[in-house]
Amino acid sequence: MTPIAMDTGALVRGLYCILPEMVVIGTAILVLLADLLLPEEGKKRLCHLSVAGVAAAILSALWLGPGKIEGFSGMIVHDGMGLFFTLTILAAALLTLMMATGYSEWEGTQKGEFYALILLSTSGMLFMAEGTDLMTVFLGLETLSIPIYCLVGFHRGRMRSLEGAMKYFLLGAFSSGFFLYGIALMYAAAGTTRIPVIASMMRDARLYGNPVFLAGIGLLLVGFAFKVSLVPFHMWTPDAYEGAPTLVTAFMGAAVKAAAFAALLRVVLLTFPAILPAMSGVLWVLAALTMTVGNFSALLQNNMKRMLAYSSIAHAGYILVGLTAGGVAGGQAVLFYVLVYAFMNLGAFGVIMLVAQREDDGYDIDNFAGIGFRYPVLGGLLSLFLVSLAGIPPTAGFVGKFYLFGAAVRSGYVGLAVLGVLNSAVSVYYYLRPVVSMYMAPAPEGIPVPRPPRSAFSFALCASAAAVLLLGVMPASALEFAERSVLSLLM
Amino acid sequence: MNGPSDFIFYAAAALTVGSAILVATLPNIIYAAVALLFAFAGVAGLYVFLSADFLAATQVLVYVGGILVLILFAVFLSNRLADVKISNPGHFHLPAAAVCLVLFGVLSYTAVSTPFAVKTAVYLPTTADIGEMLMTRYLLPFEVASVLLLAALIGAALLSRPERGTPEKADMEEGRG
Amino acid sequence: MGFIDNHILSLMTFLPVLGAAAILCVPRGKDDVIRWIAAAASFLPLVLSVKLLYAFDRSVAGVNVAGQFQFVEHYSWIPSINVEYFLGADGISMPMLILTALLSFLAVIGSFGIEKKVKGYMALFLLLETGMMGVFASLDFFLFYVFWEVMLLPMYFLIGIWGGPRKEYAAIKFFLYTLAGSVLMLLVLLALYFNTTNPETGGHTFNLLHYMAQSTHNGWLKGFDVRILLFLGLFIGFAIKVPLFPFHTWLPDAHVEAPTAISVILAGVLLKMGTYGLMRISFPIFPDVTRWFAVPMAVIGVINIVYGALCAMAQSDLKKMVAYSSVSHMGFVMLGMAALTPTGMVGGAMQMFSHGLITAMLFFLVGVVYDRAHHRQIDGFGGLGAVVPVYTAFVSFAFFASLGLPGLSGFIAEQMVFLGSFDVFRTIVVIAALGIIFVAAFHLWALQRVFLGPLNPKYAALEEINAREVFCLAPLGIIVMYIGVWPMPVISLMNSSLVHLVDLVKAVI
Repeated sequence: MTPIAMDTGALVRGLYCILPEMVVIGTAILVLLADLLLPEEGKKRLCHLSVAGVAAAILSALWLGPGKIEGFSGMIVHDGMGLFFTLTILAAALLTLMMATGYSEWEGTQKGEFYALILLSTSGMLFMAEGTDLMTVFLGLETLSIPIYCLVGFHRGRMRSLEGAMKYFLLGAFSSGFFLYGIALMYAAAGTTRIPVIASMMRDARLYGNPVFLAGIGLLLVGFAFKVSLVPFHMWTPDAYEGAPTLVTAFMGAAVKAAAFAALLRVVLLTFPAILPAMSGVLWVLAALTMTVGNFSALLQNNMKRMLAYSSIAHAGYILVGLTAGGVAGGQAVLFYVLVYAFMNLGAFGVIMLVAQREDDGYDIDNFAGIGFRYPVLGGLLSLFLVSLAGIPPTAGFVGKFYLFGAAVRSGYVGLAVLGVLNSAVSVYYYLRPVVSMYMAPAPEGIPVPRPPRSAFSFALCASAAAVLLLGVMPASALEFAERSVLSLLM
Repeated sequence: MNGPSDFIFYAAAALTVGSAILVATLPNIIYAAVALLFAFAGVAGLYVFLSADFLAATQVLVYVGGILVLILFAVFLSNRLADVKISNPGHFHLPAAAVCLVLFGVLSYTAVSTPFAVKTAVYLPTTADIGEMLMTRYLLPFEVASVLLLAALIGAALLSRPERGTPEKADMEEGRG
Repeated sequence: MGFIDNHILSLMTFLPVLGAAAILCVPRGKDDVIRWIAAAASFLPLVLSVKLLYAFDRSVAGVNVAGQFQFVEHYSWIPSINVEYFLGADGISMPMLILTALLSFLAVIGSFGIEKKVKGYMALFLLLETGMMGVFASLDFFLFYVFWEVMLLPMYFLIGIWGGPRKEYAAIKFFLYTLAGSVLMLLVLLALYFNTTNPETGGHTFNLLHYMAQSTHNGWLKGFDVRILLFLGLFIGFAIKVPLFPFHTWLPDAHVEAPTAISVILAGVLLKMGTYGLMRISFPIFPDVTRWFAVPMAVIGVINIVYGALCAMAQSDLKKMVAYSSVSHMGFVMLGMAALTPTGMVGGAMQMFSHGLITAMLFFLVGVVYDRAHHRQIDGFGGLGAVVPVYTAFVSFAFFASLGLPGLSGFIAEQMVFLGSFDVFRTIVVIAALGIIFVAAFHLWALQRVFLGPLNPKYAALEEINAREVFCLAPLGIIVMYIGVWPMPVISLMNSSLVHLVDLVKAVI
């Protein structure tokens, strides 16, 4: 039998290309090993180790730069868009882990497994964001999902945690089935799972109108829709968000969404232009439903975590508006918004984590009464993040939404843009409710004393706030980076 | 291509689908697990028809021999589960049926209306090819799958291990409350 | 000095927010330090506005001519969608900038009596001032919209936290109405952006001056139906702010619940933003639709005048009465603008300036009596004239100014509105003139019930107006009297711009 020919150069290039992923996975294994050696009181070092690992991964991604590196015979590519999403995901992971410095002590998540799972999930996200083959995307999706299922159910003693984890796991497994079935059908029609090859085949119309291929794309879309919780595939979201330890909820909102949208964007931007008339209608309806149902359900919530869960559904709808618009403008808007959303979402969760004393009813909006003046910094930060989520200038949320709806108008989806603007006006009402409670409701006798944040926690909050303000006032360079990234994908 | 081979194919397909329906509908979880055994076996038969010898063997070894036995063990060993009459009742039959029918309609329509490029099966051993592909073209997915398994292992260990300091039993009681 | 001269509008806009940042750094408990920092941060823009007034060249028009704007600052802000940081002043914005600077400073002084959470109050107030200045100084629609929205939240908090008993209701009502207006404005903003081209670069543009050049319009903006739709979207957005009938219902609630100084700002500056927006944005961009919609606008203006006066007459709460009098007075602005004659337009702009001063006095004065008596029921007083003569004199002066007594600024403005619009809409103006009778009636009736007649013994020991309050009121009174006697300085300030605006709207495209 002939030995397999090995191309060492190609292998090394491939390893370069997945350098950030390798750093993250390596850190996860180091954390697991260190967990064995460290004494119980030294466990907080695990968190520091994770933070250092993610920081190193960010540096390595920056070192690779925006140039295009293909690796592993076209299974993965590190290009401008890959870099943008890698940095977004890693930034979200970094902020999450920094917040873990305090959170883990209070909530008993100071375990090697906790950090290892977050890191492994992060690596899955990176694979998903950079995968150019549907196989890589699928494996990335699974690698990101399975740790998250476990993390949602981390507090086994809490009924809600178990309920959320169970729902998320069952529906998630089901959606993976859809996803895989979609890939199989696409493979049946195209004979390949490589996204660029499929895209080029669509351009020369060999696949155009092939029903199996269309069914495959449809099922793939369903799989994505579950992951980014688009209506009507969103049923798991509120329960999973509410049940998960808050830190994990924050991570899910920011990073999982970014990774799923990265892969979706790659598929949509490359393959959809050819079948746009058929697909844009579907996306239009999904976006409209998601925004509307998400916002109107959020209006009824009294628990901050549930409210932010529905708000995350609504935001998925806004992002989908940009995807529906498509093209460079739409892609740029999506990239920018995903970045902005990561910061404002993590920031908001970070503050409510400090204020709420206990899981479940600790997150009731009434529990925030009187916080605003007693703890002005926390109150101010939470107001800033909520105002940004509502999309009011001069915060980054406004610029992001402006780009999304602007892209929709540019592509002729005026109705969708109008719907989006009206929706975001509705959303202001529920984002203001906690603010009203913090500043205007009469403070009860025993205002809960927020936990004193660790310095890394404070730093993470301040960094998020600075990002929300900076991206709102001076968004030019981030927008240019996003535009270049989309162009690098389309070229 | 008519004759006994067609008959065997349809028999294998019917076995798979029929057992799968039973898995979903049987109220007793142990019966369901046994029905799953037949579904897996049917799939293995289909692989044989696709001239995927390696996959068929793996299907039998891993799914029928390994995973299913694990499932049965899990069902029997969870004595708490064995005491209670475990059932998997369904809700929302009608809407679910409607959605499934629509999906079934769409997929059958596509299956029927698509001009598939039919290839005559060539019966050759595939194991070496699969091995080579895993080490070259599909090296990255292969490795990512190992990361995935690592993550799944850690997660499983995390969820099943007793919490430090709290006895498992009390934990479960609380969880069930 | 070069830096100040080159960035005078930016400084006026951002000095208050710098002050707010400084206030946030002051440790808790040092309320007096905070008050004086706020006073300084709002006094500096006032000083700069005086400098602005002297440096302003009154002979050039501005409006749609880029070269004629003064104190221009023009930089690229978000290049990928051509958003510009474009500030400039002309005869339309000058009176508003000065009014904003003056009233903000006086309102800060007037807020020295606030004891509750001084730090938050002053910081939000200064943020609000930045928003107001920015709205009046921007010439880029995106920038305008950003500043417009920046005002929204501070105002919401200022009413909702420091307001009266029904503050939450009033604040959320104010917020939802204004937000609805903003949403409409945002949609028009998007439509304008995608249907105009920058003549220099060929890309889309947010530059208001480009919008005003009709040659840059393409796509939808070619169709008259769509133009009507866009004009109406903007009109409703601005009408909510003015507030024009039937979008006025938020105003009485917001005014009654807001603290005194915030009522002053709300009535003195924020209401003017609606009519300013119409002058700056709607009229020059859609001159054809403006002509088409002139009569409905005049009718709405008259409804405001008469309906506002009648409502004011029916009020038992002094502050609510003053609030409805604002509705009535803003109707004059609308009527004068709708006439599309130079005299009417100048009259409308004059009324904006004059009403800003007069209504500020009225709200300060209501605040004075409320601080002492803790209620504002008109029938709950009586014979105060004998107890607090100085205060009575101030109130009488303000009431007479408000009802349009000759020799005070309100008279000049209203007369110009009537003169300018009489030839255009005779019947409407006759009805409006009848409205004047109601306006006079409710002022005099209230004056009689509060200050004349037998003394209510409960208030025999009412404190006289104090020096700080006089300090807030006196400058306003002096300016009202000065303009009433010699209005030329204000008229010449805006005349050339407004005449140009009328020509622009009248020119057939």
